[in-house]
Amino acid sequence: MSTVTLATPTAGATTKIDRLFLGLSVIATAILVTLVLLDHQPASGALILVGFCLGIAFFKAEFSYTAAWRRFLTRGEAGGMIGGLIVIAVAAVAIVPVATLKPQFFGGAIAPIGPSLVIGAFTFGVGMQLANGCGSGTLYTAGAGSGRMLIALLGFIVGCVAGSLSLPTFLKLGGINPILASASFGPWGGLAVTLMSLALVAGVLALVAHARGGNYRPSRNYVFGGIIIGLLCIGAFAAGGHPWSVTFGYTVWGAKIATALGFDLSHAAFWQWPGPKHALNSSILSDTSSLTDFGVLLGAMAAAAAGGSFASAKWPPANSLVAALIGGLLMGWGARLGFGCNIGAFVSGVASGSLHGWVWFAAALAGSALGIRLRPLFGLSRD
Amino acid sequence: MMRKVYLAVVVLGLALVVMQHLASASSGRAVSPEDFAGACAPCGAPCPVKQ
Repeated sequence: MSTVTLATPTAGATTKIDRLFLGLSVIATAILVTLVLLDHQPASGALILVGFCLGIAFFKAEFSYTAAWRRFLTRGEAGGMIGGLIVIAVAAVAIVPVATLKPQFFGGAIAPIGPSLVIGAFTFGVGMQLANGCGSGTLYTAGAGSGRMLIALLGFIVGCVAGSLSLPTFLKLGGINPILASASFGPWGGLAVTLMSLALVAGVLALVAHARGGNYRPSRNYVFGGIIIGLLCIGAFAAGGHPWSVTFGYTVWGAKIATALGFDLSHAAFWQWPGPKHALNSSILSDTSSLTDFGVLLGAMAAAAAGGSFASAKWPPANSLVAALIGGLLMGWGARLGFGCNIGAFVSGVASGSLHGWVWFAAALAGSALGIRLRPLFGLSRD
Repeated sequence: MMRKVYLAVVVLGLALVVMQHLASASSGRAVSPEDFAGACAPCGAPCPVKQ
């Protein structure tokens, strides 16, 4: 599924546990959980552990939005994309009604619809095909020992900071306020509309696949992986009060590093908005997105180390690393303009019944089509 | 070589996170930018009509 250079065990082969990295991942997770518990924040500990489980689930299921989208665009195979929709359907069952009925405790992933969203999502789509990983994919494959995706993650972080400086300008291009299904149809009607929209898109994808002679049945890994990841999305929502998001954490990490290096971001419009301003001036462990990100990285590391020698592959060719870096930069910049990645904007947006999630999906899929055409420039196959 | 890079990244990253956390004032429960007034997106961006 995922085509990054991960050392995965083959069936029947004797697997040797990489004790160093398994131990390191478990100890690092224990340290982070202990730190937040010492601050009397059990919900923060839960977010780290949910992230840890997400990292394991993504790695074991080899769940890849990037590869699934590419298989659809190049070969007409829709099974992976429909598997991705399973995640959203499972998460939506809890997020749409709970966010509507208990707004004092929970909120959905909403965002305005306008040029910034479309430009950002399209750019993200280009980047995810060059990097060979999306928001979640970059996170778990980097955690699982792909040096190439470590480079992509570096680019992603830099791109997010650049995007944070660009976003206020692009928002001036205009847009409309978020459109929520539950605002028009209520909690249960909104859920019904959301699930129907997912079924409609799955149906269209299956029809296209059928017409192109491609398979449209999700693999067993994608069905069970999708259900488990969807349930873990509900866990992140329950612990954090908002649906799972990935890339705001990268933005905060990059901004804190930039600040430590002497750059003053505090006067930038983005970092004067209350949420980002609070994140920039607070502990990194008080940002919900960072907590789950750390968990995913360490969970994927634990899963990979438990399955064999960790990070034992050779570094890929230089042009592949350049593609990863450029792809990461584009994804980071695009994620800020597009209000998130395939998780924060697409999965969590649609699972919240917000129309911006579908707009993001359409624009990012178009961007992916361009990204696939650019892959050969870096020695990467279109498949 | 890649293992050494990973080892350095994980140890250094963990040390930075721990130091940054310990050097920061305790801010209570973890929050998302959406928790703040006026937020209209997961990153805390305001709504178009409010700009």
